[in-house]
Amino acid sequence: MIIRTLPLRHGRLAVPKPITPSTLRTLATALDRPRFQPATASLDANGQSPSGGRTLEIRDPTDPVAQNFVFLQQQKALHKPIGSAVEPHYKPHDLIANPPSPKDITLELLMASQAHIGHATSRWNPSNAKYIFGVRGRDDPIHIISLDVTAAYLRRACKVVKGVTERGGLVLFVGTRGGQERIVVRAARLAGGCHLFSKWTPGSITNGQQILGACRKKVIDHNDIEVLGFGDQLERSAALKPDLVVCLNPLENYILLHECGLHNIPTIGIIDTDANPTWVTYPIPANDDSLRSVQVICGTLGRAGQEGQEIRRKSAAQGMWTSMQEHGLQPPTHGQAQREKEMREQEAMLAQQEYEEDARTVASEELEPVAKEDSLPYERDRPLSSEELAQASESARHLADWETAGVVEP
Amino acid sequence: MGRYNLDAHRVQRHATSLLRTYGNQHSLPSPWFAAVSQNPPPQILTRPPLRRPQRAGKRPSQLFKPVKLSYEEDKLRWEYFNDHPWELARPRIVLEDDGRDVEKTPAMWDWIWQRQSARPLNGESVIQRQAWLLRNTPLTPAAAYDKARKELYRVRHAQETERRIAKEEAQATGAFFGKGPLEVGMHLENSAFEDWKAWAIKESMALKQMQSAAYTGNEVEEADAGPSEQNLQEELQVKEIADAVPGSKRGQEVKGGAAIHP
Repeated sequence: MIIRTLPLRHGRLAVPKPITPSTLRTLATALDRPRFQPATASLDANGQSPSGGRTLEIRDPTDPVAQNFVFLQQQKALHKPIGSAVEPHYKPHDLIANPPSPKDITLELLMASQAHIGHATSRWNPSNAKYIFGVRGRDDPIHIISLDVTAAYLRRACKVVKGVTERGGLVLFVGTRGGQERIVVRAARLAGGCHLFSKWTPGSITNGQQILGACRKKVIDHNDIEVLGFGDQLERSAALKPDLVVCLNPLENYILLHECGLHNIPTIGIIDTDANPTWVTYPIPANDDSLRSVQVICGTLGRAGQEGQEIRRKSAAQGMWTSMQEHGLQPPTHGQAQREKEMREQEAMLAQQEYEEDARTVASEELEPVAKEDSLPYERDRPLSSEELAQASESARHLADWETAGVVEP
Repeated sequence: MGRYNLDAHRVQRHATSLLRTYGNQHSLPSPWFAAVSQNPPPQILTRPPLRRPQRAGKRPSQLFKPVKLSYEEDKLRWEYFNDHPWELARPRIVLEDDGRDVEKTPAMWDWIWQRQSARPLNGESVIQRQAWLLRNTPLTPAAAYDKARKELYRVRHAQETERRIAKEEAQATGAFFGKGPLEVGMHLENSAFEDWKAWAIKESMALKQMQSAAYTGNEVEEADAGPSEQNLQEELQVKEIADAVPGSKRGQEVKGGAAIHP
C-alpha cells in the first residue's frame, strides 16, 4: 500500500502557513518600517527631529492612502537594485526643473546644447563677425559661433542680472517663440521678476499708462511684505518699468528693444549670426533657434537672478537695505493704512461667505439627469450595424497591412 | 552714425548725464546703474582680422571674413562615403548628453569591435579609427583605410547575421511579419497597373465609339454588338506581355494628364 500525503489533508499542515518576512528573500536595503518615519524615531523636546530635517506626521496610519504609500516605499526599496543601471544622460525637463548655474557654464555644456550652430553664411550680419569661429559645410555652409566668446559674454550677463536683482531691481524675461514659455516662466520665478511669452504689445513702456494702466500695483517693504495705505497713490501712477530686460529672440522683438532704448533700460539678448548686436546692451552670441541652448542660457540667467535675490533677502532679514529706490510715493497716514486693511479684510470675508454659500447650494441641489433614458449622449456610442461593422473591419485590415509594411504611419 | 541706433549701448552714459543735469543730492540712480557700471557692455561693431597670412610677407585675402574650417578627417570622410554611400542612409543621433564623450572613451582603441557604451558604430567610427591608426601606427593611409573599413565589415556582417537568425527563430516560434519592401513595391506597381488598365479600357471604348460614330455607311449587322468591356479586357489580357506599352514598337503615347484620367 502506498501511503501518500493523506495525513496532510487533515492535519495542521493543511492550512497554508502565513508568509513571514523571514521566508521572503530580503535585501540589505529593505526597510521594515515606513520610510517617512525617522530612523532614530527620537524627537527633541520641541517635537523636532535632531537633524533639523522636515518630518511628516501621519495623522492616521490606518488610512488606506498611508498604507499604500508605505507599501510603495517598501517595494521601491526592495526592487531598486534589480534591473539595468541607467547611466546619467540628458533629460530635457532637467534644464527647466533644475537649470544650470553660472558656475556650470562650460564649453562642453554649450556645445552639447547646440549653442555654436549659426545660420547660413549668406544670412549673416557682418557686425558679429568677431563672434564667429569659422565656416563649416561644403554645399550649404553655416557659421559656427565661438563658444569661448559665448561663455565669456554669458558670464558677464549673469553678473549684470545678479547685480540688478541684488539691488531690488525688476528683471523681465521675454521669450516669444513657441516652446520658450516654460523656461521664461521658470527663470522669472527664480529671479523674482516678470515673464512674457506672448506678443509684446507695442507701447507697453512708452504708452504704459494707457496699455498697462489697469494692472494691479502694490508696495512691498524690504522683506517683500505688502505695505497697505498706498491705494489712491498707486491708482494715479503708471505701471512699473522693468530695470533689466532679457530677450531670448531679439529678431522678433525689435519694438520692445527699441522702447527699452528710448527709456534707458539695459537689455540682454541672444544674438545669432543673423541678428543685430546693436539692438541690445549685452549681446550673448549663441544659437537662438535651438530650444536647448535657449534653455541653458535663460536658465543660467535665472539662477544668477536667484543668487542676487538671496543676497538681498539675507541683508533685508538683517535689517540692511542693499539699495534705495526712487518711487515718488508719500508715506501713508495711519488712518489710510487702517482703512485699507479693513477693506481687505472685508473683501476676504465676503469672498469666503460666497464660497461657502456656493458649496452649500451645490451640495443641496438635486441635479437632474440631462439625458433621457433611451437617448445616448453621443452619436458614436450607438451600436454599429452589421454592414458598418464589416466595412470598418475591412478598412482596418487594409490599414493594418499598410501599417505593417511601413507605407502608412500608424 | 546714420543707420545704427546705439541707445542700448549708451544706457549708462545717458543715465550719468541725466543724473548730473537733472539730479540733486537726493536723487538715486536706478537699481541697474551700479551693476551696469561695474560690468560695462562689450565693444561692438569692430571687425578684427580673422585670417593669418598663408605666405610670408603677403597679406591674406579676405582678411575680415571668417575662415573655412577644415580637418584631416574631412578627406577621409570624403573617400569613405563616396565608396560607401549607403552608410549615409543610416540614421545618426546627433544629440549629446553633456558634451564630455571624449572623457568616457578609452585612450587606446584596439579595434573597432571594442564596444563603447552607447556609442554608435557607423561610418564615422571608421573615420575616427582610421585617423587614430594614422596618428599612432606606422601604417600608410591606404593600409589604415583598409584595416578600419574591414573591421566595420565584420561588425556589419555579424549584425546582419544576428538579425537574420533572429527573424528565423521568431518565425519558427510562430511570429509573422508584414510585407517587406520588395513586396510593397510589387503591390504598388500592381495597383498602379490595374488603375492604368481601367483607364485604358475606358479610353479604348471611347475611341471605338467615336470611330463607329464617324462611319456614315449602312451598318452591317454583326455577331458581336460593338466593343464591350469583356472583349477589351480579354484583348488586353492576351496582349499584356506581347504588346505591353514599354515593349511595343511605338512606345507609350502621351495621353495627357488629369483631364483625361477618370
